Amino acid sequence: MNQILEIIGMGLLLIGSIFLFLGGLGIFRMPDTYNRLQAGTKATTLGGMSVILSVGLLEPDWFIKTLVLVIFIALSNPISSHALARANYKRKNYPYLKGGKEYDKYREVYQKEEEETA
Amino acid sequence: MKMKKILVISLLAVFGVYLAEVLFKLDFGRQFFQQGVKDFYLITSPIKLQVANTVTAIVVNFRGFDTLGEVTVLFLATTAMGSILYKGRHQLGERTVLFSGSRIVTTGSRLLFPAIILLGAYVFIHGHLTPGGGFQGGVIIATGFLLMLMAYADYTVSHVVLSVVESLAGITFATIGLLGMLHGGSFLQDFLPNGSLNDLLSGGIIPIIYIAVGFKVGAELTGLIYTALNEKD
Repeated sequence: MNQILEIIGMGLLLIGSIFLFLGGLGIFRMPDTYNRLQAGTKATTLGGMSVILSVGLLEPDWFIKTLVLVIFIALSNPISSHALARANYKRKNYPYLKGGKEYDKYREVYQKEEEETA
Repeated sequence: MKMKKILVISLLAVFGVYLAEVLFKLDFGRQFFQQGVKDFYLITSPIKLQVANTVTAIVVNFRGFDTLGEVTVLFLATTAMGSILYKGRHQLGERTVLFSGSRIVTTGSRLLFPAIILLGAYVFIHGHLTPGGGFQGGVIIATGFLLMLMAYADYTVSHVVLSVVESLAGITFATIGLLGMLHGGSFLQDFLPNGSLNDLLSGGIIPIIYIAVGFKVGAELTGLIYTALNEKD
């Protein structure tokens, strides 16, 4: 039983570290804020969660604490990335898109909302 | 461009090799490790005081008077900051943060706020067992309030409650010290039973003092953040 847990834990550790590495690479390589945010938060959410869960599986005494940590990351990381992206959009820093404006469907809605509130 | 990068990397590698060589040759103050004070602290704190976290034992028990001084310094610093930032009773309520966050942010911070407060309380209650303590726990609690103040434009914290909590915590600290004197020792003498190692209720006066310090630091930093957010210039 312990051996199975250890193998699963090691596998999760490997997956987590690969995702964390890809997140770091993405922050370095991506062209604009939104792509960087996606790399820096989506990849680190999965990476961090699986690394922490793997620690819980390798040390079964800590499993409940690590579960709490995983829930905390699942709540806090997406919210913070949402807040950052929204603040960036509100500063009129629109996404970098190859096809131009027509792919940014939210912009019309947003600009209409802006006019209504102004 | 490529050549430049390769040059930089090779230079860094040479520098790193030299640095590593020097660091391996140093024996990092080995002569100080072999004598006296370290052994006294490392042996006394788990065996005589029954405290697992040696840093806490040093900070609160062996050098409790210094910690009282530190708390006082923190109190003076926050008071001074507050007196600089505070612009009179009537200007309170004018925020530098004018809009609440989106619905996701407000709901999420409402969900996370109790968890953050709980973590802060956990850190300062377990100060004598795990890393961390009153100062760290207080700062975590203040970050919880900072999250709420950033998410809601109309979130208010009562200055009266904050100063009452702060004063009560300070009075607790000083009273514990005076009780030690009454018990027939010096100021901040450990007069409570020490219990057994790794129990929550152990370590004599350390848990009580650290809970007081946690409340005090949390209240002070929350008040400081609140004053800073209300400053509009």
